[in-house]
Amino acid sequence: MSKRKTKYSIERKKAQWGWIFVAPSLIVFAIFNFYPIFNAFYTSLFKKKLLSLKAPTFIGLHNYAYLLNSPDFWNSIRATVVFTIGTFIPLLIFSLLFAVLIMSRKRFQKFFQMAYYSPAVLSSVVAAAIWLIIFDPRGLANQWVNLMMNTPGIDHKWLANSIMVQLSTMLVYGWKYVGYFTIIFIVGLASIPKSIYEAARIDGGNQWKNFWYITLPLLKPTTILVSIMSMLQCLKTFSTQYLFTQGGAPLAPINVITMNVYHTAIRDHRIGRASAMSIILFIIMLFFTWVQFRSSRADEISY
Amino acid sequence: MKKLLTFFLFVLFLIMTVNTVNAVEITFWTHEDPNRTEIENRYIMEFEKANPGVTVKRVTNSSTKIQELVLTAFAANQGPDIFNMSIEDEYAYIVNERLAPIDFEAAGYPSLQAVYDAYVPGVLDPVTYKGNLYGLPLELTNWCLYLNKKVFRDVGLDPEKDYPKTWEEMVEVSDKIAIRDGEILSRRGFDFRYPYYLVSMVPMVEQLGGKLISDDGKTAIVNDEAWLKFLKFMQEWGPNGKILGSPTYANARKLFNKDNNDIGMCLTGLYQQGRIRNDNPDFYNSGEWMVVPFPVFEDAVKDVPAAYYGHYYMVNGQKPIENQKMAWKLIAYMLSHGEEYLTKVNIVIPTVKLMESETYKSMPYSKVFADDMAKGHVVYYAESSAEIQSLIREAVESVMLAGTSPEDALKTLKRKAQEVLEEG
Repeated sequence: MSKRKTKYSIERKKAQWGWIFVAPSLIVFAIFNFYPIFNAFYTSLFKKKLLSLKAPTFIGLHNYAYLLNSPDFWNSIRATVVFTIGTFIPLLIFSLLFAVLIMSRKRFQKFFQMAYYSPAVLSSVVAAAIWLIIFDPRGLANQWVNLMMNTPGIDHKWLANSIMVQLSTMLVYGWKYVGYFTIIFIVGLASIPKSIYEAARIDGGNQWKNFWYITLPLLKPTTILVSIMSMLQCLKTFSTQYLFTQGGAPLAPINVITMNVYHTAIRDHRIGRASAMSIILFIIMLFFTWVQFRSSRADEISY
Repeated sequence: MKKLLTFFLFVLFLIMTVNTVNAVEITFWTHEDPNRTEIENRYIMEFEKANPGVTVKRVTNSSTKIQELVLTAFAANQGPDIFNMSIEDEYAYIVNERLAPIDFEAAGYPSLQAVYDAYVPGVLDPVTYKGNLYGLPLELTNWCLYLNKKVFRDVGLDPEKDYPKTWEEMVEVSDKIAIRDGEILSRRGFDFRYPYYLVSMVPMVEQLGGKLISDDGKTAIVNDEAWLKFLKFMQEWGPNGKILGSPTYANARKLFNKDNNDIGMCLTGLYQQGRIRNDNPDFYNSGEWMVVPFPVFEDAVKDVPAAYYGHYYMVNGQKPIENQKMAWKLIAYMLSHGEEYLTKVNIVIPTVKLMESETYKSMPYSKVFADDMAKGHVVYYAESSAEIQSLIREAVESVMLAGTSPEDALKTLKRKAQEVLEEG
């Protein structure tokens, strides 16, 4: 009798309905996410040419061994790490600053939110195309910098120098996504109860102290969320680098993993090797997602 | 009433069955070219009229995008019936046996030999594999040097006499023409077509005695001295050298048409004339442009002009046999209008008939192109030609832009190209 009760308890029924409701999304997710991942892993174990009709040759982990010994692949890891670190840290700092700035304003809050968010609405291709024109040697970037620094006639080689082209991709990416993360920070800031600031004011806290001792600690979950989201986003970067190289920028300094995957598969037709590369990228991203879960669990905050 | 209804349904079923049996839909993917689109859409309409039940869907994309689209479609076994690309990109489809050999009867020829006889000797070699013919050329193109006479006269040069015959003269002339604001070029004398390293830069190495692949096909990047001299030349050309040009400046060929005093010379094919005529008819009719041969190095051991390349129409071998036949018939029908392609699009379908025609001979500067082509060879084509091209690009960019020494760039190029060659 007691067993029957457990089986048909209210919680159990609720859970069943829960499963029924999430089943469609789980099925779609499995088809469009899990299947490609497993398929990519399976393909990575073969020597397979994209156009070949012959049966692919099973080579085990050879593609992984090749990549780990390839200077080109390590250059891609370097390019990805440099881009990710060089982009997500400024993104984090500037989006937080902009969010605090917007929230501190009494008027035009919505206008500034929209203004900062607008580049995120643009497609990456359009954004990169606009910046290609700006970075042209005769373009606005050289003109502005030369005007500000009083250095007429200097070509800062935005796309034509190994270091500058890396900075340029970071700049474009930061410009495009800073608004998106600003909005997330604004949501985080809005969720901090005003009563805490009021209590601090009674205790004699000034704005600077409020920011350091109230806002920042209470914003920690949002900060972690933004840092992990922006990091994952940066690891997947592709279109900016792709369009810049189409515009004549050198490939090697900005040959991030996704670009290498694209070239290995589409240009070289080596789909097995490209799959191995994408699996390695997936593992890196999975690691950071795990870090996110671990960190967010430790930093749950309740007001 | 019931009988009438049954009869009506029977007739309807019969009509639908007959239509289904005869209906052939041909998908045709090609690169964008407004001049060609105009005439090919007309040919397709005429073809559909002459072949009831056949519908042709012509889809255009940019010349770089089309390569990805065709490749991914073929990888998913969903390729179009007809497509065309440059031979160095198409060759992988031939060796992977994804194509249908020509159906000479459907194409209107009495024999396979008759097809070969109709074309200029050698032009069908790149699409001949294991005794089968897999493509018919839409165009065969080589590049010569277009120059803007006004820009030459602006710096006191006589375009007819002072045009650069050697690469060393090219540096001198370009330096005279260049207008710089400090390090920034506002007018270039000449600039290369950077994505196309196999077409225009490998011949420069060959002029110096170098080779991309050895004659036995076993070694990549032959003759270090020639390659080093070429890489040093490119290093000097770029923004860290004499500041004469760079891959990051706007495409010289496109700027040339505008006649905006921002480029003196560019490398391009006969087809450019059609584009100048469309983009800037005043400039086209002004007589202020001319075409001269591809330059050679002063100490060249061989006179090698830019390599010529072909765009070949090909047919998907995975399509039903009726589609294949109809596709070859359509291709042959379109290509039978060689003179119109030449006069309206300025592309050369290399048939014996067209090359000997008055129409070809009377085209402005066609002799310059024909003479250079006679001295040259077809572009390097292999299953891995796109990969090899990207390695040359990497080497050139590294010396021009990244500050790598020509010696180091050559070492990397040799290692990588050899690996590609051995991997196959």
